Amino acid sequence: MRAIACRFALAAAAAVVCGLPWATALSQGKPDDPLAVGRQMLAEDNPGELWIERGRTLFYQRRGPKNVSLEQCDFGAGVGKLEGATTGLPRYFPDTDRVQDLESRLLTCMVELQGFKREDLVKTAVSPAGSSGSDVESLAIYITSRSNGMKMNVSLGHQKEFDMYKAGEYLFYRRSGQTDFACVQCHGEANKRIRLQDLVHMTDKKGVQEVTSTWPAYRGAHFVVRTMQWRLSDCFWQMRLPELNYASDVSIALTTYLHYQGNGAVIKVPGFKR
Amino acid sequence: MNKTWLKWAVVSTPALIAAGCATYPDPATTHRIAEKMVSEDFSAPMPTLLKRLVQDRSQQICSKIGDAKLTQEEAAEVVTLARASIQYPASGTLVGDWKVGNQLAHDGAGDRIQGGILEKRKENGGLCQNCHALAPGEINVGNVGPSLTGYGLQRGNSEAIAKLTYERIYNGWAYAPCSNMPRLGANRHLTPEQIAHLVAYLIDPQSPINRKQ
Repeated sequence: MRAIACRFALAAAAAVVCGLPWATALSQGKPDDPLAVGRQMLAEDNPGELWIERGRTLFYQRRGPKNVSLEQCDFGAGVGKLEGATTGLPRYFPDTDRVQDLESRLLTCMVELQGFKREDLVKTAVSPAGSSGSDVESLAIYITSRSNGMKMNVSLGHQKEFDMYKAGEYLFYRRSGQTDFACVQCHGEANKRIRLQDLVHMTDKKGVQEVTSTWPAYRGAHFVVRTMQWRLSDCFWQMRLPELNYASDVSIALTTYLHYQGNGAVIKVPGFKR
Repeated sequence: MNKTWLKWAVVSTPALIAAGCATYPDPATTHRIAEKMVSEDFSAPMPTLLKRLVQDRSQQICSKIGDAKLTQEEAAEVVTLARASIQYPASGTLVGDWKVGNQLAHDGAGDRIQGGILEKRKENGGLCQNCHALAPGEINVGNVGPSLTGYGLQRGNSEAIAKLTYERIYNGWAYAPCSNMPRLGANRHLTPEQIAHLVAYLIDPQSPINRKQ
């Protein structure tokens, strides 16, 4: 009896708490953005948390042909150290002699440490909409979550980091294909939309910080967590260009450019996207 | 003493070179590095589709980094190339059916590549709705380009306006070099006949885009 009453009280409290975002958004009176209400509600109870839990389990599990966990992986903060590791990504790694973002580094460790086949991982890295997500997606969001609350701090020191940054900048402005689009055609001005979808203003410090701090994110329309690699490939799809290879240098160059521009942003994942 | 100095030099010179010389590459080096990436990092179901990544002369000129501005000569070259690219429908009529144009304006599909498959349809959509406000009261429209609401009400539907409108859709860089507007005709995204339907949609007094508010 007491348990039932307690449950009732909890439910009532939950109803009040969950009702709050409605009240706030409505009282702020944003008639031009009715979607803000829903967005805020979902952001406060983000299903992406489930992916973080799954990623945590996957990270410490002994997996792959070599039956080891990912604990010996170095994401740039040192072997086995995850706190703050993604704040410095992409960065140069001496063992691979490459500049790597989170996802390409993850592939390196899953192949080198655990013995997975790279082509198998790449094939399934981006999961179908409505699925329970890929291992790479879950791991990426878990590892990023260990930098939550910390500031992005990508630095350019190695020559390959400078090269990657400048290549990213070049690509951001490189127009091609039958739409004549580069990134900047849609992301170079404030308050722009494609149909009803807001476009992030990436040549602006605040705008680009939104990009660097909120991926991976739960994508409402797909019911799965999406990563920066997916975000970039989806843009190229709409631009009518060929398919961007997963974890390729083009993707890492663009991410290096954006992340460096967005330094100082406080990481807060899971992000929530429409 | 000498030995210590030598040891110091041997140990630290490479370190100094590594640390001191790493810097931003010059534009030519960046161009070479980035173009190599573009040539290696994309896949397509048919090799010919990879040609979409290759820039034409105008796209090269129009890819200025940051706030860099076009020179007068560059702008003139883009305009000249654009003017030379414009072709008209075989029928000679630049004003088609506004109803077909209305559908086209709200169609954003065609020619995308995903999962190793080319989204091939008989004809591509016009993509207008993505970036332009269209008929009065339409909410699901973008604002990257200027509003087209009342386009014909403001300009009329003379032959001169029809021609100007046709050319601005076929290759807008003839009038605004390097603008954000895709060169929909010159790039073969739309056919001349489709563009004529869009012209009708924009200037016909009966078209919903010219409904009086």
